[in-house]
Amino acid sequence: MVIEFGHFALVLAFILTLVQSVVPIWGALTGDTRLMATASPVAQAQFILVLVSFIVLTGAYLNSDFSVVNVWENSHSAKPLLYKFTGVWGNHEGSMLLWVLILVFFSALVGLFGGNLPADLRATTLSVQSWVTAGFVLFILATSNPFNRIPNPPIEGNDLNPILQDIGLAIHPPLLYVGYVGFSIVFSFAVAALILGRTDAAWARWVRPWTLLAWCFLTLGIAMGSYWAYYELGWGGWWFWDPVENASFMPWLAGTALLHSAIVMEKREALKVWTVLLAISTFSLSLLGAFLVRSGVLTSVHAFATDPARGVFILVLLCIFIGGSLALYAWRAPMLKQGGLFAPISREGGLVLNNLFLTAATAAVLVGTLYPLVLDALTGEKISVGEPFFNLTFGPLMVPLLMAVPFGPVLSWKRGDLLAATQRLYVALGLALLVVLFTFWLWGMERVLAPLGIGLAVWVMAGAVSEIVTRVKFFEIGLKRGFSRLAGLPGSAWGTAVAHFGVGVTVLGIVTATAFEYERIETMRAGDTVTVSDYQVTFDGAAPRRGPNYTEDVGHFTIRKGGVTVAELDPSKRFYTARQMPTTEAGIYTTGFSQVYLSLGESRGDGAMDVRVYFKPLITLIWIGCVIMAIGAVLSMADRRLRVGAPKPAAKRRRTSAVPAE
Amino acid sequence: MMLWILIAVLTAGAALAVLIPLRRPVEHASDRRADQAVYKEQLAAIDAELKRGLIDAEAAEAARTETARRLLAAAEAEKETTAVSSSRYRVRAAQLLAICFTPVAALGLYMVLGSPDLPDQPLAGRLNAPMENQSVDVLVAQVERHLADNPEDGQGWAVIAPVYMSMGQPLRSAQAYANALRLLGPNAEWFTELGEALTVANEGMITSDARSAFEQAVELDSAPVKPRFFLALALSQEGKAEAAAEAWTSLLDGADERAAWVPVARAELAKLRGEAPPSETGPAVEQPAGPTAEDVAAAGEMMPDEREVMIRSMVSGLAARIDQNGGSEAEWSQLIRSYMVLGDQGKAEATLKSAEEALANNPDALSGVRNTASKLGLTGS
Repeated sequence: MVIEFGHFALVLAFILTLVQSVVPIWGALTGDTRLMATASPVAQAQFILVLVSFIVLTGAYLNSDFSVVNVWENSHSAKPLLYKFTGVWGNHEGSMLLWVLILVFFSALVGLFGGNLPADLRATTLSVQSWVTAGFVLFILATSNPFNRIPNPPIEGNDLNPILQDIGLAIHPPLLYVGYVGFSIVFSFAVAALILGRTDAAWARWVRPWTLLAWCFLTLGIAMGSYWAYYELGWGGWWFWDPVENASFMPWLAGTALLHSAIVMEKREALKVWTVLLAISTFSLSLLGAFLVRSGVLTSVHAFATDPARGVFILVLLCIFIGGSLALYAWRAPMLKQGGLFAPISREGGLVLNNLFLTAATAAVLVGTLYPLVLDALTGEKISVGEPFFNLTFGPLMVPLLMAVPFGPVLSWKRGDLLAATQRLYVALGLALLVVLFTFWLWGMERVLAPLGIGLAVWVMAGAVSEIVTRVKFFEIGLKRGFSRLAGLPGSAWGTAVAHFGVGVTVLGIVTATAFEYERIETMRAGDTVTVSDYQVTFDGAAPRRGPNYTEDVGHFTIRKGGVTVAELDPSKRFYTARQMPTTEAGIYTTGFSQVYLSLGESRGDGAMDVRVYFKPLITLIWIGCVIMAIGAVLSMADRRLRVGAPKPAAKRRRTSAVPAE
Repeated sequence: MMLWILIAVLTAGAALAVLIPLRRPVEHASDRRADQAVYKEQLAAIDAELKRGLIDAEAAEAARTETARRLLAAAEAEKETTAVSSSRYRVRAAQLLAICFTPVAALGLYMVLGSPDLPDQPLAGRLNAPMENQSVDVLVAQVERHLADNPEDGQGWAVIAPVYMSMGQPLRSAQAYANALRLLGPNAEWFTELGEALTVANEGMITSDARSAFEQAVELDSAPVKPRFFLALALSQEGKAEAAAEAWTSLLDGADERAAWVPVARAELAKLRGEAPPSETGPAVEQPAGPTAEDVAAAGEMMPDEREVMIRSMVSGLAARIDQNGGSEAEWSQLIRSYMVLGDQGKAEATLKSAEEALANNPDALSGVRNTASKLGLTGS
């Protein structure tokens, strides 16, 4: 009964999205305040209904109710509790429900916290969001209903794809979804702005926190997914240019461009047309990703059970949303008034440069992802576009962008002075050059690119720090006043600096982990030792072990540094019985920011095993940098000014900051 | 019924989410005031920047002019927008959507997609349901679970082994008999069944493993016909015509002519001696009690509910047999064991009690049954 209740809740949610698709926008177009007032309560009702159905499905997983086809197909009674829970979204139907849950979650958030928005913009945005939601709920109900039942259920389920039975899975898809589904609300804002003809500086300000929120989660989701692939797939790599990874990376690049161009729109009312286009493209790229993953066009570790009918359905949705929004754009964009002018060397100029490189990079990734598919479809020729392509296209685009990053925040609006800006960055530049020279001295000339890469990373990081320092003017006004000014800096200034610093940290991790990695692939017997960097890794032997729903061969390794034992690792090869599938669990020893990484390969019989041993210097910085970027986004969202709304009589300022900077 | 009440409540809630905001007229707040707030804040920010010395006076003035222009434009737009009050007809239309369209569409769509009659079936509930209502899969799963936790429980293996056989899984059955023998010691009947399971698994070929099982069975108890029958068949298969003929002859010596296996034995014998088979030879009947390879193959193809019938006959057939002929010591013990392994202690205790009554005048058998029961942790009266 509970399950049928959950099913009905989903159906009812679909009907409410239909109501919501019509009523509020009708109100907005006719100026009818009562109709517009329905937007927010209905958005919350939708969220509650979808939440109910999601909780019901989760309950079915936890109770191993195999009368639900979806549970029977993807769960097993012996599965650990955590994976019964995460298994809810570890499959196509459940993950679509999560997708819809996040769509309506954002609707509800706009309903709750959109008090500072003009009523017509809020109503229209929520209606547009409901169009998107309705499309996806219809998709679920028509082709991928997680509430389909079996009258005479079998006694045991088919188990979750073992590769997904991992704590990384518990976190990364929901984060990613909040990320790229979050951009749906930005899309809805853009379409609403086009419909209402309301693309102005204020619009950019209102959209900013939503872009930041989605971007923040997408950043974390991508980082988490990358770390998951790193330790679960056992290849020792952290990014594979896998089409599914690219599918999440493209919206991130476009979203990053959007964040920056929206600043120009907010401050100068320039780049309006461009910003709206970016808002539309970012979510379109998310939809494209969803299509690629679920249509069966791609085969990848992430590809869920695929079905051509679903692919066609998503393709139709894709065409309606992307085609419709672009048509609306083509019709309305020419009517937008252009905003302020600016010189090439200026903050705006810097942001345009940023946008140029980011969109070019997005295009490069898009081509690299789609070209093999198109080629396969047209000529039947199968090619694989991998790292070399992206290193040649994406890499060169990033270098000038990163070189320019520190300049952006120190240039002034409208007309900037490059010389003055460079002066502010002398320290950062000096530091970066010093590091380059030091690395050359340390490693010699054999690796030319690595020291330059490290120098670039240091330049970005030091540039971020010096931006804050120059803003506060520590050297001119003394430490004490400097610190009070530091506290008074607006959140967005901190956000910019912290996020840019995070970019530098990630770049540093990428360069060192790529250039200075040690790799050994050996067939080891018990007692054998291999040396990577300063570490001696000894294989002590392997033993079979039984888990709740798998059996595994566990290798035991001792890691020594200078003869002293620093860690003992137990990487394993698992075999999941229900699905007859093997997986690898890497053994990882983290020292400082670096890691020793062990992964088991084939067993050679007589106790010998293939073992991959890596030493990856500073590799954790890649993900730490992403977390820092996300923190930057949070700081930016915390900016008091983002919440500026229509004046309310009762609004009291709680505390006037001592020294408001800027 | 409960489901429909909940559905009604949920639908009413959804309709109210639309109806309540429609009911009260909202105080008309100008949309443009939100814009103005943003621009005023921007003006304040420019002043602050100028004070910090981040921009010079000239730039500040330019920026201020620009922002002020936006502020004015917003104020102008506010004047233009005339307050439109709600129209009665639009509100009525929206109300109609909430009251009529929402419930009708939701219910209609649900009736197409949903299965309102199907109850929830959480696994724990299914496993704990009374045994009579269990499907065969649940019963087997229960025993399997029990054995996964207590792999050293020989009784459990002995109970599940014939079930596997009847479900058309002779290999599993053989494994289970082998486990029971390993854990509980030699038993002529189990050796015979083990041999038969292996034979069925090998499509009638008697392998050396199977033969050794039959031989052990005969060693323990030479009376039953079944293992000797298979051993004779093995000799035939190996082409040892003379030895086979001898085995068949000794088997037929003094056999009950009405037994079902007798025609098969005669036919084999005739074949070995190069004679025409006896006329009454019907379709191959191996053994009255054991299923033939065809039977087992048929069991494998049975539909789940047919198999269910088969397993029910396992327990209830035993119970019925006991009811009819009073039951031997072995039958009572088997029934108690079956209930225990299926986790139904109440039934096991009740059975023990019945056994005590039925066997009251057979103290030897009773003590045997009590012995089994106490090994299973049951205490009789």
